[in-house]
Amino acid sequence: MALFSSRKTKFVDSDILVIGGGFGGCGAAYESRYWGRDLKVVVVEKANIERSGAGAQGLYAINCYMGMQWDENQPEDHVRYARNDLMGLVREDLVFDIARHVDSTVHKFEEWGLPFMKDKETGRYLREGKWQIMIHGESYKPIIAEAARKAASEVYNRIMVTHLLMDKARPNRVAGAVGFSVRDGNFYVFRSKAVIIAAGGASHIFKPHSIGEGMGRTWYAPWSSASAYGLPIQIGAKMTQMENRIVLTRFKDGYGPVGAYFLHLKTTTENAYGENYEPNWYNSIKEMVGDYVDHQPVPTCLRNHAFLQEVMAGRGPIRMVTKEAFKDPHKETVGWENFLGMTIGQAVVWASQNIDPKETNPELVMSEPYVMGSHATCSGAWASGPEDCAPADYQWGYNRMMTVDGLFGAGDTIGGTAHKFSSGSFTEGRIAGKSAVKYVKDLGSDQPQLNETEYEDLKTVVYQPIENYKVGRNEIVAGTVSPSYISPLQGIQRLEKIMDEYAGGIGTFYMTNEPMLNRGLELLAMLKEDLDHIGAEDLHQLQRAWELNHRVLTSECVTRHTLFRQETRWPGYYYRADYPKLDDTEWHVFTASQYDPKTGEWHMTKLPVHHIIE
Amino acid sequence: MFTSNPFADLTVFLPPLVMQVYIVLMIFAVAIGTLFDMLHKSSAKFFALQRKKSQAAATRRLSGAETASIAIRTIAKEVATSGEFCNPKRRISHLLMFYGFLLHFITTIVMVFGYPTQATPAPGVLPVLWNIGALMILIGGYWFFFFLRVNVAYEGHSPFSLMRADLFIVTLLGSVTLACIWEIVQIAGNLTTTKIAFGLYIFFTTLLFVSVAWSKLAHMFYKPVMAFQRRVEEANGSSTLPTPAARNEGR
Amino acid sequence: MPTFVYMARCDGCGQCVDICPSDIMHIDRTYRRAYNIEPNFCWECYACVKACPQNAIDVRGYADFAPLGHSVRVLREEEKGMISWKIKFRDGREKNFVSPIRTTPWGSIKSPSDYDAPSPDALNGQELAHEPEALKVKTLPTLPVSQKKQV
Repeated sequence: MALFSSRKTKFVDSDILVIGGGFGGCGAAYESRYWGRDLKVVVVEKANIERSGAGAQGLYAINCYMGMQWDENQPEDHVRYARNDLMGLVREDLVFDIARHVDSTVHKFEEWGLPFMKDKETGRYLREGKWQIMIHGESYKPIIAEAARKAASEVYNRIMVTHLLMDKARPNRVAGAVGFSVRDGNFYVFRSKAVIIAAGGASHIFKPHSIGEGMGRTWYAPWSSASAYGLPIQIGAKMTQMENRIVLTRFKDGYGPVGAYFLHLKTTTENAYGENYEPNWYNSIKEMVGDYVDHQPVPTCLRNHAFLQEVMAGRGPIRMVTKEAFKDPHKETVGWENFLGMTIGQAVVWASQNIDPKETNPELVMSEPYVMGSHATCSGAWASGPEDCAPADYQWGYNRMMTVDGLFGAGDTIGGTAHKFSSGSFTEGRIAGKSAVKYVKDLGSDQPQLNETEYEDLKTVVYQPIENYKVGRNEIVAGTVSPSYISPLQGIQRLEKIMDEYAGGIGTFYMTNEPMLNRGLELLAMLKEDLDHIGAEDLHQLQRAWELNHRVLTSECVTRHTLFRQETRWPGYYYRADYPKLDDTEWHVFTASQYDPKTGEWHMTKLPVHHIIE
Repeated sequence: MFTSNPFADLTVFLPPLVMQVYIVLMIFAVAIGTLFDMLHKSSAKFFALQRKKSQAAATRRLSGAETASIAIRTIAKEVATSGEFCNPKRRISHLLMFYGFLLHFITTIVMVFGYPTQATPAPGVLPVLWNIGALMILIGGYWFFFFLRVNVAYEGHSPFSLMRADLFIVTLLGSVTLACIWEIVQIAGNLTTTKIAFGLYIFFTTLLFVSVAWSKLAHMFYKPVMAFQRRVEEANGSSTLPTPAARNEGR
Repeated sequence: MPTFVYMARCDGCGQCVDICPSDIMHIDRTYRRAYNIEPNFCWECYACVKACPQNAIDVRGYADFAPLGHSVRVLREEEKGMISWKIKFRDGREKNFVSPIRTTPWGSIKSPSDYDAPSPDALNGQELAHEPEALKVKTLPTLPVSQKKQV
């Protein structure tokens, strides 16, 4: 730090604090303002809400839209679809809740200026598939960020939130959060009556395919650093389905999307010898999972499984058959623009390798695992459901509130709610926003109070990595090798290796077992201890240090959940070699964990899966 | 006040030839420094290669008239009005420093070579313009230094945390600030403090011009050439950038 | 594909520093111009490329797997509501694409507080803002009681 600068503590008071300014956070800000006209709504974001989050480069499809106005789908259909894709295990109340509201979100997006592709004959939104509609979404994020800025009282960009703060008086109630400015290094103490976590899920906890510069080309944004999980886990919130990591089949290296290709361009896959391989694996899949293989559409993980088996049998590379489809100029344009508005890197890969899908069928690959809650996966916090639909044991008063009073979640943060994607995450933000307003108004004079010792102690903790580097640096001449501290990059590389080798990464073809998982936990324990010895050279590295912290905590949670579920529920996502089959008798349940911050112990339980839709 | 040629008043202890030689040496230093920089970094070779590549990729040839027109537009916009800046504050600050520098530098030369001693007094307007030039540099420069530098404005650095990129602005502000201090002290009449202030002025001025190979001073040559080259590439079709969209071109 | 900054074009304005979701566009200490400090955390989202007023930022595919000689460049014209792409293959082939990015003027979104305030009862109901009108169906769906299975 420079000669004349000093680290100040800044206090920010609010009624509702939204942590994370992505799709979930922007929805939360919007709805909080609508219902709380006189409330102070603050959004805090570690980057800049204009482009932050997984939607930074845009999206070219909205994958969660019912189309109730045209009788295209009903919310119950969506619940069945999501449940089917997740092999039976979703929070049907939460999924129904999102599905019934999402159409109003999508219609507002159109009103706000998001360009939708329309069917020339019917005038309706152009369907990519049964659940997906197509948009020109390069500016999807800037548009919804504008809505959030119009709603929020204040938006704090470039502040990384590192910890939540708890109420001094009442146990298990949130009172705010702390963080630091990535620009000027000041310490921020947020005092809030309600907190909505809408941060990112977890990329970079498993070793990716590309490990040089290519490390940056993850499928899910590299800045999704698991704060959605790290923050609630730290304070003992109940988490669910953290073992439900997602693996994606996408275009090689660039991880470009395949949805439009399969659904709109109607392309198929083939092995290296031009064969349609999927049917060959039907019988073996049926042995593993029973009748689930007959559900239509075939669950994502099972399609992955067939792909993986084919590759392991030595008949890769698997390719997407595009040569026919790309002869149609409209389809060719859709195919390329799909990348340019969503995963530009795939266009760069093809341009660099002279791949024109008119002439070559491009390669596909199965990615490394990710942990998040808004896609064909639903890891996250256990949350209370909607008052009119949720079974009694799924609700404890406020919709989308976690097992900690006053702590709400939206987007990748919330577990059990698969297939919400961008529009569903924004919608869940809206749901949480309204709930938080209700909670705040019900609080009345019973307001949470900060514990000064807690945040003063945290101030030391938050800047410890900077201190470690400054002091420890005196020991060595130069370079990156120090016996007393590790850089955040060194930490993340160690984490990714542990998870890859022991918790079912690409290195073991997603396979793990109890002895491996236990060994992984041993190594994670040592890494967790080494987190006290991260050395951060500057504020950017300090941000990386806390991202690592949230990732390590999340990885431990993921590993414990993977150990707890003694079953292979989602072959194609991961395998328990010691429990290779699906077991509906014992494991048609949600897994749940709670970390006790005082003892450091984890408590694992099963929670029932209620099917409220036929 | 300030209507007396400060360089002529110097001659009580410094022969006028010394300042004249010094100025010639500084101009020389800038020329040599820039040449050295280009050779050492092979930047001239690089620019030549870029031009060749751009001409090979050109889809149309530019006529002599077109090229001349581009050159004139570059001088008129980028050079004369600092038109490349998108941030209005930076643009104004740069205009103040740019024109201030021209004014201050040209009047320096006119006074040192045209009116070297007290026997050849300069018209009062010259020192006034010299001071106005200095003031413009100081206003634009300190504004830039404390508030506009991107590492201060966008990265949260303290203005006092200096880096190599600050070599130019620091030596420029040092030179001009001390020029004013020297002038004031010289008018006040104390010979010792005048010599000290003048010595410091010469120190910073020398540093300013001699460090051209390591500082951002050379931008005064590179920037107009680059702006010109950019316009040429847009005009001859060799730019890799897409052409602007016609409205409503998308579906 | 990580980003890089053209020396000849960058004038150190800081827009890229401001927008980067990864916090990896920062200012070089020798030239006071921008550069990518951590290419292995670059997602090639092109936020900085689009934000640069001088078109000074470009992308070179990740060295792990992208051969040299390609170019994917963009011109985002915010006022027009359009975006244009020029793709050059390593072997010289070129593809161009143009798309709309917004159908309404920037800044035109109506603030939620400019709508009539909801009634106090509505806070206890299930409807979100602008519902049921914005759903474009008559009522917000709920689950019939018969379908609710209790524990």
